[in-house]
Amino acid sequence: MANTYVLVCQNADCKARGAVELLSQLGQRLQAAEGVEVKPYMCFGACQAGPNIVVYPNKTWYCGVKAGDVDDIATHAKGGAPVERLTHGVDPSLKDLIFQLLDAGLF
Amino acid sequence: MILFPDGKPTTRETFQEYLAARGYRSVAANLEPAALLKEIIASGLRGRGGAGFPAGRKWSIAAESPETPRYVVCNAGEDEPGSFKDRILIEYRPHLVLEGMILAARAIRAEQAFLYLNETYDDCHRLMSQAIDEAGKAGYLGSLKVTIQRAPTVYVAGEDSAALEVLEGKDPKPRQKPPYPATSGLFGKPTVVNNVETLANVAPIVAKGASWFRTMGTEQSPGTMLVCLGDEMNRPGLYELPLGTPLRHLFEDLGGGLKSGGALKAILPGGPSCGFLKPEFLDVPLDPDSCKKAGSTLGCGVMRFYAEGTCMVEESLGLAKFFAQECCGQCPACRMETNMLVALLERIQQGKGDASLFDQCQKVLDFNRGKGFCALINMPGPPVLSAISLFRRDFEHHLQHGSCEGKSK
Repeated sequence: MANTYVLVCQNADCKARGAVELLSQLGQRLQAAEGVEVKPYMCFGACQAGPNIVVYPNKTWYCGVKAGDVDDIATHAKGGAPVERLTHGVDPSLKDLIFQLLDAGLF
Repeated sequence: MILFPDGKPTTRETFQEYLAARGYRSVAANLEPAALLKEIIASGLRGRGGAGFPAGRKWSIAAESPETPRYVVCNAGEDEPGSFKDRILIEYRPHLVLEGMILAARAIRAEQAFLYLNETYDDCHRLMSQAIDEAGKAGYLGSLKVTIQRAPTVYVAGEDSAALEVLEGKDPKPRQKPPYPATSGLFGKPTVVNNVETLANVAPIVAKGASWFRTMGTEQSPGTMLVCLGDEMNRPGLYELPLGTPLRHLFEDLGGGLKSGGALKAILPGGPSCGFLKPEFLDVPLDPDSCKKAGSTLGCGVMRFYAEGTCMVEESLGLAKFFAQECCGQCPACRMETNMLVALLERIQQGKGDASLFDQCQKVLDFNRGKGFCALINMPGPPVLSAISLFRRDFEHHLQHGSCEGKSK
């Protein structure tokens, strides 16, 4: 049973910006990490800021993620420090909405 | 009645029959564009495609736009689930529709008119091709060129600007508005896009006058409307009613009540994008303003009735899935909203979660309202939210048990 989820948006815009590759790279990187599960997510609604990745339940929202950020995000998911540089640029009210949906079990 | 003398379709009218009934006299009268515009404005005719925009105003905007050429599009995309009024109108009264197109084109001085026709409507295609041919040979088209364009059968393809995209040879995706088609439509030129039923009212108005038209219907919504009744009724089919007719007359007298014989639980008076009503609204007059007051919309006249025992969770999930499937995908917010609603309703349906899911539906809709090019993003809200608020018990039962009341999981 995972206690940390790395949710990678797989809606059209994020996919067009490389989210499929990010999902697979994070999946490989975290395959052996205990308690961490990498999952696709339908959409976080911040399409212009994509690719978007949310680490849950600690509610860290990464936007504009690139292949070079995968190691840092994987480190965070395994209990390391959050990747501060990727946490800006998403509307706070959208963050609230999405975090509430995640809290309601929607993932 | 205006469109069908008996209030419902009876026989397919031929060219000779249409002429014998003094058809094409509005065209033959050779009125000036200004006189045509004046009559349609005075009639108060509102669009019958769902939005209810005054037809005369739309025509005036196009007529006053300096750009030329101008175009008329008769929208028979008809992808609304349960709607068949446009198909029946064209099958039964092709010349009435065509005369309306000719008059609209004349009013805005358009050189070309298109029938944008649902690609599955083969009979309509055949009958309208024949009608165009007959009217042309008889000289009623004048210099107007009338063309039929097959319309793809996806929901958004019926949206007016998506229809223009198809006519331009592109994918059926709605455009950002403004500009509206009346000023910048087909190939960027002023274009009147009217629903079939709207145009079918034009020739009778021009022939008999705006004041005659106003003897039917209400002050704000004159004339009649076509209503499609579904198979849940004893007498399904197409009916023409004066606007303002009490819903009960349609449900009981014309439709003959529910086939199942069960008690009425809910009414969806205007297609999948309107709010549900409870049976106590059976006496609401069928016109846009009264429906709005009752908490719903009249849409394009697809009327559904639900018997006691229908699970409103399943019904609203079905509608949410419809919009998620029909979302064309070009607006991120619409993709997110429609998918999210399905996911939320599925959790409620399966009993996975708590009552906060109800609020989440509202929040997702609030967050995304108006953030799409077309109206689809605003469509799932009324049915989903009204179902949750009016039939809360169904939703709570599903949330607790993962099944409908009275049924085991």
